[in-house]
Amino acid sequence: MIEPKVKEYIARSPLNVAISVWKALFLREVISRLSANRTAWLWIFLDPMIQIAMMVFIFTTIRMRIVGGINTPIWLMTGLIAFNMFRSTGKQLQNSVNSNKALFTYRQVKPIDTVISRAFLEGVIGIMVAIILFCGSFLFDFGMFPDDPLMVLIVFFGMWLMGVGFGLITSVVSTLIPVAGKFIAILMMPLYFCSGVILPITIIPAEYRQWLAYNPLLHGVDAIRLGFAPYYHTIPELSLGYLYSFAFSMIFFGLVLYRRYSSRMIQA
Amino acid sequence: MIIVDDVHKRYRTSHGYSKWVLQGVNLVIPPRTSVGLIGLNGAGKSTLLRLIGGADTPTKGKIERRCSVSWQMGYGGGLQGSLTGRQNAKFVCRIHGHAADIPERMQYIQEFAELKEYFDEPVKSYSSGMRSKLQFALSLAIDFDVYISDEVTGAGDITFKKKAKQAFKKLAGRASLIMVSHAEGTLKNFCKSGIFLNQGKVYWFDDIDEALRAFKDSLPK
Repeated sequence: MIEPKVKEYIARSPLNVAISVWKALFLREVISRLSANRTAWLWIFLDPMIQIAMMVFIFTTIRMRIVGGINTPIWLMTGLIAFNMFRSTGKQLQNSVNSNKALFTYRQVKPIDTVISRAFLEGVIGIMVAIILFCGSFLFDFGMFPDDPLMVLIVFFGMWLMGVGFGLITSVVSTLIPVAGKFIAILMMPLYFCSGVILPITIIPAEYRQWLAYNPLLHGVDAIRLGFAPYYHTIPELSLGYLYSFAFSMIFFGLVLYRRYSSRMIQA
Repeated sequence: MIIVDDVHKRYRTSHGYSKWVLQGVNLVIPPRTSVGLIGLNGAGKSTLLRLIGGADTPTKGKIERRCSVSWQMGYGGGLQGSLTGRQNAKFVCRIHGHAADIPERMQYIQEFAELKEYFDEPVKSYSSGMRSKLQFALSLAIDFDVYISDEVTGAGDITFKKKAKQAFKKLAGRASLIMVSHAEGTLKNFCKSGIFLNQGKVYWFDDIDEALRAFKDSLPK
């Protein structure tokens, strides 16, 4: 009997596999994010819009009309958009491993892949939301073109990186220690107040402010306003380098965690 | 060919580690040889399948796959509940590098799984039989050298079982199977060789009948 010739097996390259997994996961995430229910896609835009509208209403009718030299609506909108980039990226990434558990049956799919594809999706959504809100602001007569568009983009990217770093770390922590996820969610509230989104940090005395300046998000939120209006009074400590180095450190640390705990996360 | 080299496996539990499920397993599964895994419940059959399929990593030792190996079929794993059957099927095609010819594969899967209009409903609304039909169709739609199945032929109704059997028989020409089953008939039907698992150790038998005999001898009288 002639042995049937065994065809030589050539495996796909690891990079090739990873890229096809990222593409497939990206499409899978788009479906879940945009069609979880009938109006899921609408809420992605409505949520920040309502937040902004409420804050603008509160601020302009009962408090101040100008913050740090620029109009309150634009001040609020820019801060909220920047902070939202961080918050929604971080929040979505935190759950990325848990919500894709079934797919780890396929050895091609690793926990880190789910985070990477979700990070890209959140980046795309964040930019779309920002563009729509930005265009919408002209309809409501408080729109203004950024004086330094590059600065705005740099801040935006930095806030996204912060979200990615935060999400990488919290996804590992909340997968391995489920209770921790709840505490992380609570942490978002004080971060929101300390980042100068609705409270101008410049009004805080210098001796306390220097402590708040350790929060990298504050730098991003304030710098985006500077990108819109060069005459805006920022906090004196402002440094985009700090924002970026903090973000990259978190991403590095998050990747280390994945290197260490990847297989345990599949079992968890 | 699949090489299992000194594989140890234990799990992490809420209080430390479990006992060793597999302890120093060495195996070489030759090409085109269908193998049945035999052992009592908890002997580590599914663990070994998971490791061979790559869904989990060994605590110690390594596994080398010198051929394309499917994922572990059975028990409805690997399907995302919120997505429809079709979306799941597309996902599986894409991660296996078959993004280009998705339409043909979709047609095959839809026909084979017999899900009809349920193919476009979320998988979480499926019965367990429907899930395993879909899984079975998914793995057949992709060309592997080795298919790993965990009691998969036990799924579905009588007509589907018959169809699955025929499909498996047809595969035998180009691919092999590594399967877990408690049904002696199924094992004898599909497998040439056998692996008997007992207390963390494995024993290879060239002939499935011998493996079954060794298993029976190990049972308390």
